[in-house]
Amino acid sequence: MADQATFTEQVEPFMDALYGAAMRMTRNPADAEDLLQETFLRAYRGFPNFTEGTNLRAWLYRILTNTYINTYRAKQRRPEQSDLEEVEDLYLYRRLGGLEAASLGRSAEDELMDLFTEGEVKEAIDSLPDNFRVPVLLADVEGFAYKEIAEMLDIPMGTVMSRLHRGRKALQKSLHSFAASRGLASEDPEVVDR
Amino acid sequence: MSEQDTEEHDHGDCQDAVSRLYEYLAGELDEVSMTKVTAHLQACSPCLEAFDFHAELKKVVAHKCSEQMPAELRSELLAMLDGEAGPTDTAGM
Repeated sequence: MADQATFTEQVEPFMDALYGAAMRMTRNPADAEDLLQETFLRAYRGFPNFTEGTNLRAWLYRILTNTYINTYRAKQRRPEQSDLEEVEDLYLYRRLGGLEAASLGRSAEDELMDLFTEGEVKEAIDSLPDNFRVPVLLADVEGFAYKEIAEMLDIPMGTVMSRLHRGRKALQKSLHSFAASRGLASEDPEVVDR
Repeated sequence: MSEQDTEEHDHGDCQDAVSRLYEYLAGELDEVSMTKVTAHLQACSPCLEAFDFHAELKKVVAHKCSEQMPAELRSELLAMLDGEAGPTDTAGM
């Protein structure tokens, strides 16, 4: 049984990350703040039921995610993208010509860091419909296991995987548009001599 | 020349490996599948490059999504939690 007196001390290290997650879930600062207020309140009150030594981070994110779904998700209805069929595996990779990292003496990560701005990446994530955005956020940004995500969202593993699969495609498509608009990506797969 | 290793292995394996790319990078594959994909990556540099790209992309996306909680919000939340805790001394008799 966790001691509420230690709550603040224990959760403070997670505040920045939870803020980031709340921002990507709600997509606006005012709602993110409300979401966090409610999340921390619930977490504090539920802390006596938290087993010390178990995964506090997952516990906090579960409360955040649940609170988001129950409070905000019902209000948002965005049309789901149905044009993901033509987004093949390696969609973005195949269209990014000129990533000659080796010849430029820079790491692949440096190249990619410069390829997209913070604003573009956030916008690309934010543009995903709820049922794609939340799993992609939890898996690819926050690094939770698929099983944990299934539990947090109370959906089967298979559903998690299929939403991740489609969400990632949608994300690649958005990122590609940003790169293409700056002339850094082609529309068609590059014919690479491999 | 990169053509060398693409001629020496089965391209059908590339399709298989690529279809499991994300699960591989997330550590979600079972041991048998993991071993199979790793073996393929060791034999196929085009696939290895593709995998490396996605590993980097994931890091970049996570990095660019990271935020710092505004100081004001942090204070508000801490104050709220303080309020929840209430007086800690045993008051009055």
